[in-house]
Amino acid sequence: MSDRIETFLGLSVELTAFSRFDLLATGLAERYLGTLDKVVGGDTTNTLLAAFAALPPPGDGTRARALRATILGSELLGDVARSLIKLWYSGTWFELPYAWTQRFGAKPADATFVVSPDAYVEGLLWKAIGAHPAGAKAPGYGSWAYPPKIPAFPASDTKADAVSVHLQNVGIMS
Amino acid sequence: MLFPSESALRVDPQAVAGSRDYDIVIVGSGISGAIIAKQAAEAGKRVLVLEAGTGANRSLVGYDDLLTTFYSAAAKDNQSPFPVNANAAMPRSPQLRKLQAGETDSSTYIVQSGPYVSDTTYTRIFGGTTMHWEAKTPRMLRSDFKSRTNYGQGLDWPLSFEEVEEDYRLAEQEIGVSANVEDQSYLGQTFPDGYVFPMRGLPLSYLDQQVNNGIDGTSVDLYGRIYPLKVRPYPQGRNGIPNPAYDGGRGYRPVGAVNTHQVEEGGRCQGNTNCVPLCPVQARYHSGKTLAKAFRMNGKSGQPLVELLPQAVASKVVIDPDSGKVSALEVKVYEDPRSPVYETITVRGKVFVLAAGAIETARLMLSSGLRSTSGLVGRNLMDHAYLLNWALMPQICGTMRGTSSTGGIVDLRDGPFREKQAAFAIDIHNDGWGWATGAPTSDLLELVDDRNLHGRELRQGLIDRVSRQLLLAVMLEVMPVESNRITLDPQFTDALGNMRPILSFTVPEYTMRGAAYARQFSRTVFARLGAQDHTSYDRSDFGYVAYEGQGYAIRGGNHLAGTHIMGTTKTNSVVNKNQRSWDHENLYLVGGGSMPTIGTANVTLTLAAMCFRSGRDILNYLH
Ligand SMILES: Cc1cc2nc3c(=O)[nH]c(=O)nc-3n(C[C@H](O)[C@H](O)[C@H](O)COP(=O)(O)OP(=O)(O)OC[C@H]3O[C@@H](n4cnc5c(N)ncnc54)[C@H](O)[C@@H]3O)c2cc1C
Ligand code: SF4
Repeated sequence: MSDRIETFLGLSVELTAFSRFDLLATGLAERYLGTLDKVVGGDTTNTLLAAFAALPPPGDGTRARALRATILGSELLGDVARSLIKLWYSGTWFELPYAWTQRFGAKPADATFVVSPDAYVEGLLWKAIGAHPAGAKAPGYGSWAYPPKIPAFPASDTKADAVSVHLQNVGIMS
Repeated sequence: MLFPSESALRVDPQAVAGSRDYDIVIVGSGISGAIIAKQAAEAGKRVLVLEAGTGANRSLVGYDDLLTTFYSAAAKDNQSPFPVNANAAMPRSPQLRKLQAGETDSSTYIVQSGPYVSDTTYTRIFGGTTMHWEAKTPRMLRSDFKSRTNYGQGLDWPLSFEEVEEDYRLAEQEIGVSANVEDQSYLGQTFPDGYVFPMRGLPLSYLDQQVNNGIDGTSVDLYGRIYPLKVRPYPQGRNGIPNPAYDGGRGYRPVGAVNTHQVEEGGRCQGNTNCVPLCPVQARYHSGKTLAKAFRMNGKSGQPLVELLPQAVASKVVIDPDSGKVSALEVKVYEDPRSPVYETITVRGKVFVLAAGAIETARLMLSSGLRSTSGLVGRNLMDHAYLLNWALMPQICGTMRGTSSTGGIVDLRDGPFREKQAAFAIDIHNDGWGWATGAPTSDLLELVDDRNLHGRELRQGLIDRVSRQLLLAVMLEVMPVESNRITLDPQFTDALGNMRPILSFTVPEYTMRGAAYARQFSRTVFARLGAQDHTSYDRSDFGYVAYEGQGYAIRGGNHLAGTHIMGTTKTNSVVNKNQRSWDHENLYLVGGGSMPTIGTANVTLTLAAMCFRSGRDILNYLH
């Protein structure tokens, strides 16, 4: 697997809090990188990947802040990163905000669209809440009568106690 | 159960036009038309079914194409699986805007006449709106058939519950209803001794159970009378576990997918939460299941008794001036949904059945100049009014799982309060706030774009925001009012030059009084659950209605009725209690349009029951 896709996966793991394994299992990683290239162009995509590669290493207390400062809070990259998060979670590319296109130029392929029928089905949103995409991956007769199996995810390494899954009433799927 | 191959069904428009031996010509392949077609074929009659939409989804490939269209649609609106077809257009929800009094909006298929705009819809494809429905199948209550006598509101039916009860059982069999008699015996509903539904009731969702934990054992007081609260399961037209005690112990065989290829689909409901707009595995009933049985019946010469002509839009009912009977239908047959090119054929038969849905049947009658002696064609338009209330539960409830809705609060479907205000039934939506806010996508956008969440905080945020959602959809009774109606105007036509329906509707005050109470009621329920109320109604909402100083966003219920109302004489109604036209003895107008009132029951089980009745009457007439 190329460095470029590896970096893209690393960025995606950080943005979505789903593991590399989960993301690869969607079968959509290359397609989503291709979507970025197609919509915002190879240059901006490379700038985003380079900004991610330049973050302080994991475990360094300043990494989370740097991610906010250089990616999510970047005038150029922030909206692109947010569209990427939404893409992973829903399978839909959401058109970039008007202010972004005003400043950086309209991109012909930038419209709200579902990347492919399977992209909708693989949206991470469903997995995050222990559900399934409306209309696919059905969980079986009567499954709805039981508590949801919300997958556990690792506590934050930067601020471990700020985030915790509320476990009350929730079945945990490991 | 499978459809015969495409080629066995393919009929040629010229052959249809040349045919002189149809006993029954049916307009529409929805559940109404399907039931009558099947009954007629069982009696050996020759039947032609005309369907305005395409027949593409008769094959599995076609059905799966609809699913792909759905997955690929960026906005998952009500009609997203169904491709645009200007020749058989249908209302589409996202195209609506708020109107002022006197303002008309003709930019959508149904021309909306302000101020109230309805997002009600129906689906014009093979299989009709059952390709789309949610498949809740409650019966009407005994008192619903006599609301004028009991409450001084609306109209009495020319039929009693007792006269309809047996046909309810036939409809439950045809649809394949999953429910338990114990769960449905509330508010005085009774079932014959030993009766069981074809399949066992679907279990309540975890969300329903959480709501029930908060309200069970509590009650509300309305005009001095106490109504206990509880979450009760809805009867459902989707495959559950067959009940071995059905039919005196003979059991029930569910009907699965009906397509030209055998596949392992069509079993039990798997909880896709996508019943609306399209069940991926055909666990949910659609009228193709009934038609598949009808298409398999052959006459003495081995020829199929039922023919289907798709892409055939009935455009005029032709009356013989001497006998007053229908002599023919003029039908526009188009080649291609993308082109308005058509040829007009004339179709003859002994009996004609208009089963095009309450709005399209009225449209066809009016465009043929047939307002009926009573002048009531198109009038008394009814549709349940929905008022949505949404909140966040204090605990995680696993929202977004199960069928669209498994349970609800239905104990205010009846009571003496109906003298003053509308009754209602409440569904708990397993798909959360989707209907009200566009959840869960809208939540994702808000959390990412406005709350700047990513990574773990985003995952946690989604769990907190989505898995706790509770939507109470209050379905309110609407009584017949003559000024609520469908009209036509030659300036508004569709691609084939047929006049489009114009909808004028005012939510009756009786209903709004019920809505105002329902809002209070929902707040009370939320308080008992400790749920945060997030409900808000926007003044610019297309369905915004002000009532006694408060505003409410009313949604259409897709339960269209009343437009060819049933009654006791030709001056107070369009059809008799068998849905036969008073004016034209070989014409039947069937479906929701015949219903004099709709109570708080989703209309389809009742209209299906009525079609069994009409089917028998048609066979009597033919003999
Ligand atoms: C989103 C949604 C959810 C629903 N949920 C429920 C529910 O839970 N419970 C319930 O009881 N009901 C529900 N309904 C309502 C239910 O679907 C309808 O009551 C029912 O399907 C009506 O059946 P019908 O055969 O009378 O009419 P339709 O199904 O509308 O069939 C009419 C047919 O006639 C065809 N047609 C129309 N005009 C012409 C013409 N000029 N020439 C030839 N053919 C024509 C149409 O294409 C269509 O196939 C729901 C509806 C919707 C839209
Ligand atoms: S929950 Fe699913 S499987 Fe069940 S009827 Fe609905 S869409 Fe079909």
